[in-house]
Amino acid sequence: MTVNSRRGPIDRIYGLLRSIPVGVLWLIVIVWSVPSVSLFLNSWRSRDAQRNSGWWTIKPGDLTLDNYDYIFNASAAGTIGESLINSMAIAVPATIIPIAIAAFAAYGFAWIDFKGRKTLFIATVSLLAIPLQVALIPLLQTYVNGAHLTLPFIDKTVTIIPNLGLVNTSTAIWLTHTGFALPFAIFLLHNYMSSLPKDVFEAARIDGADHFTIFWRLVLPLSLPVLAAFAIFQFLWTWNDFLIANTMAGTNPDARPTTIFVATLAGDFGTNEHLLPAAAFVQSFVPLIVFFAMQRYFVRGLLAGSVKG
Amino acid sequence: MSDFLTKLFSTLLTVVVAVLASGGLWIGANLLFNQLRANFVRYRALVWGLLGFVGGVLLSGNRLTIASTSDGGIIARLVAWGWLPVLLALAASAVGTVLATVSSLRIRLAVGAGGLGAIGLVAGLLIVDSAQPAISITSLVASTAVGAGIGAVVYKLSSRTSSSAILIGAALGWMIGAWAIPELGNGTTAWSGIALMVPCALLGTRSALLRIPDQTERNQLDQRSRSIIFLGPALLFIFAALVVPTIRTLYLSLLDRKSESFVGIDNYISIFKDPKALNLSEWQAIFGSRLFWAALICFIAFVILAIRARRQTGHLVEFGSASSGPLIAGIVLLGFAVFTALRGTLINNLWWVLAVTLLSTSFGLAIAVLADGIRLERVAKAIIFMPMAVSLVGASVVWRFMYIARDSSKSQTGVINALWVGLGRLSTGSGLPTLIFGLVVLAILGALLVFAAKSLASGNNGRAVAPLVAVGLLGWFSWRYWGITGDGVGGFRFNGSGQQVAAPIYFVQEPPFNNFWLMVVLIWIQTGFAMVILSAAIKAVPTELLEAARVDGASTSQIFWKVTLPQISTTIGVVVTTLIVLVMKVFDIVKVMTNGTLGTEVLANNMYREAFSNFNTGVGAALAGLIFFSVLPVMFVNIRRMQRED
Repeated sequence: MTVNSRRGPIDRIYGLLRSIPVGVLWLIVIVWSVPSVSLFLNSWRSRDAQRNSGWWTIKPGDLTLDNYDYIFNASAAGTIGESLINSMAIAVPATIIPIAIAAFAAYGFAWIDFKGRKTLFIATVSLLAIPLQVALIPLLQTYVNGAHLTLPFIDKTVTIIPNLGLVNTSTAIWLTHTGFALPFAIFLLHNYMSSLPKDVFEAARIDGADHFTIFWRLVLPLSLPVLAAFAIFQFLWTWNDFLIANTMAGTNPDARPTTIFVATLAGDFGTNEHLLPAAAFVQSFVPLIVFFAMQRYFVRGLLAGSVKG
Repeated sequence: MSDFLTKLFSTLLTVVVAVLASGGLWIGANLLFNQLRANFVRYRALVWGLLGFVGGVLLSGNRLTIASTSDGGIIARLVAWGWLPVLLALAASAVGTVLATVSSLRIRLAVGAGGLGAIGLVAGLLIVDSAQPAISITSLVASTAVGAGIGAVVYKLSSRTSSSAILIGAALGWMIGAWAIPELGNGTTAWSGIALMVPCALLGTRSALLRIPDQTERNQLDQRSRSIIFLGPALLFIFAALVVPTIRTLYLSLLDRKSESFVGIDNYISIFKDPKALNLSEWQAIFGSRLFWAALICFIAFVILAIRARRQTGHLVEFGSASSGPLIAGIVLLGFAVFTALRGTLINNLWWVLAVTLLSTSFGLAIAVLADGIRLERVAKAIIFMPMAVSLVGASVVWRFMYIARDSSKSQTGVINALWVGLGRLSTGSGLPTLIFGLVVLAILGALLVFAAKSLASGNNGRAVAPLVAVGLLGWFSWRYWGITGDGVGGFRFNGSGQQVAAPIYFVQEPPFNNFWLMVVLIWIQTGFAMVILSAAIKAVPTELLEAARVDGASTSQIFWKVTLPQISTTIGVVVTTLIVLVMKVFDIVKVMTNGTLGTEVLANNMYREAFSNFNTGVGAALAGLIFFSVLPVMFVNIRRMQRED
């Protein structure tokens, strides 16, 4: 059968239908973006407009900045600007500090020889499936009271961690995030660092370089891509976290991050329903920027360690 | 605004100070241990000086020595506070230097035991009255003996050549016997001096007995200390923030609501007995549900296809064999039938795990396959992936607006209900739009039939499956739409006087299916995750393999089911385990959408409420424990995989 012979109507329909999969894909893409688009458009509509008609009836003349104006300046739950700062105060240290600590540890696991290295590594990394709920109660108790241990037999109480007044502060939140981020961070960075060429290290060792110099001058610069991958991952995770923030500082309006701000608005039975789209959009704005600017690194991080707990 | 800036500034300052201080500490430790290989005497002098300084700071800082309690100006206080640490540092440093240079055992013993003992004596004599221990000789001797005994056991077990374990054990035993067991504040100055002198002398003896390490030993020492410096901070954090709290939670789950008395596994029993957590009374409803009968049909189809498959390939089920489709569909439908009839928190969690894991993974896989190699692939994938960047709270808000259902008299403002009610109007109407829409559906139906027939005629049975399924669904839709039986499709109903009114779906309010609509939110997010991972795996399948299959005459679908899918099965396993762990602890969505009301409670939200609103620590910890136990198998799978990989 030659190419141009017998192009009957049935063949033409058949050919058309062969492109259905691509059509189905784009249909899925549209369906997937409808929720976000409707939220975004609703955020520019007035309270009455939102209540009485769907966002698809929007006209350019109806657009208003009132919702944004209100949540930035006059909201009863505090302003969202304040909670943006709080989110930063949580997400920035909760990103930087685990990176540093995990980079040391990943280097140690990859390139320092000591007994029981492999067992310790597997034990550490296996912790990344631990659900964080299981640590919340004791951690909150520690932030409220400090940690005290009553010694057996001699019946004396030793203070291991004094009460530092951390409860309801952003410090408590990022400290918790740091602990929970470490197994994943170590896993991710170790995978990368241990795949660096071995002869580089041996040459440096023969030249008399110590571990600190090798780490600082050699490994850290080479590991920048994976450090970036983890940084983005962790930043999005901490910025978007609700559970830890709500547990550790949920009652203190001065330490509340954006997620709690939005959840509080959502929880007051519809009185502020019309502010929700604007608030949710502001809350998502920073992660979306980070995400789209650095998607490549984010995907790399996901691929390298898709077992986070 | 100034509040705002102050807050920003103080936050930044805290972070910078914290990072600089801990970074400085860590770099300092590294520089210190660099001396170990380069210059041992300097290393020893520095380390011992540092230890002396820290000891002095501990004493002065806790106001345990006489001088540190004086008042006065800042300089006077600093001097009063600081002279002891500096003195101790210098003295200890001097002892350390001697021990690092002199090799004669007699001098080493004299300087080590005598020097450190003297330092301990001085420090002990300076201790304030209120901290002097009232020592009982019996407990002191007993405690020291126990310490030495433990040291001896360690010494025997570790087969070390030096007896340092015994000396260290004895010193620690003495410290406990002299300072921890007795009451502080009723002792004498002399006893206080002796109580600190003896352990210092013991430790000095121990150091004196050790040889000055040669270069190899110093290298070993360097490796060992480096491993501690590099791993220490991380392990400390993990230990304090993960390991200890986890153990403590499991312990608390065995205590009562105020953690006062031991109740065994009562908390767990009470969870399983609570009808809100596990309600099996409606089990008969399983057999009454349409889902169950649909599942049954799927299983019958599976059996027929499996018997056929066995005749052809020798296996009942294979990756991509025709029998696997109905099997999976049957399991999902049966799961939904069971989970809608049996109710409760635990059932909800199982339902979440089944639905979200399965649907996210299959959607992700389907999209990854469909998008592979098309134009604008990256754009399509970025849009599907975008919800990953949005918080779960934000996503819940997004879907809340999708799910809005309004009274039948008002126009719908949520997209889904607007479409649903609109479809109902269309289906029951009699105008031109009704006709056109129905005909369009029929045209698509016909086209799909042609496509399926063509595929079957050319012997390409695999390609006919999806169109035939679509034909079935569209056929059923058209059947109802044209009112051949029933009253049409869509969101409407007839009121008492026979008029038709809108009947929106109350997605969030109506149990048990409101659970599923909450799951949709997580599926919306996690499909992107599954897609990214699986897409990378598909692209990593060796081209030679695909090429070879093509040369052998395999069709596209055969290549996918028989070559690609087995190649990426490990990755599918990773995605599934990751999702199971993630779904088991789902919290934010339920908290924001319903807060666990209307029959949508899940473990994590229940745990949060019990522990932090009802202050029932016992049950809260037990619920956390349940989440923990349910992910343990996944943890073991991960460990096994890592052990295999090495």
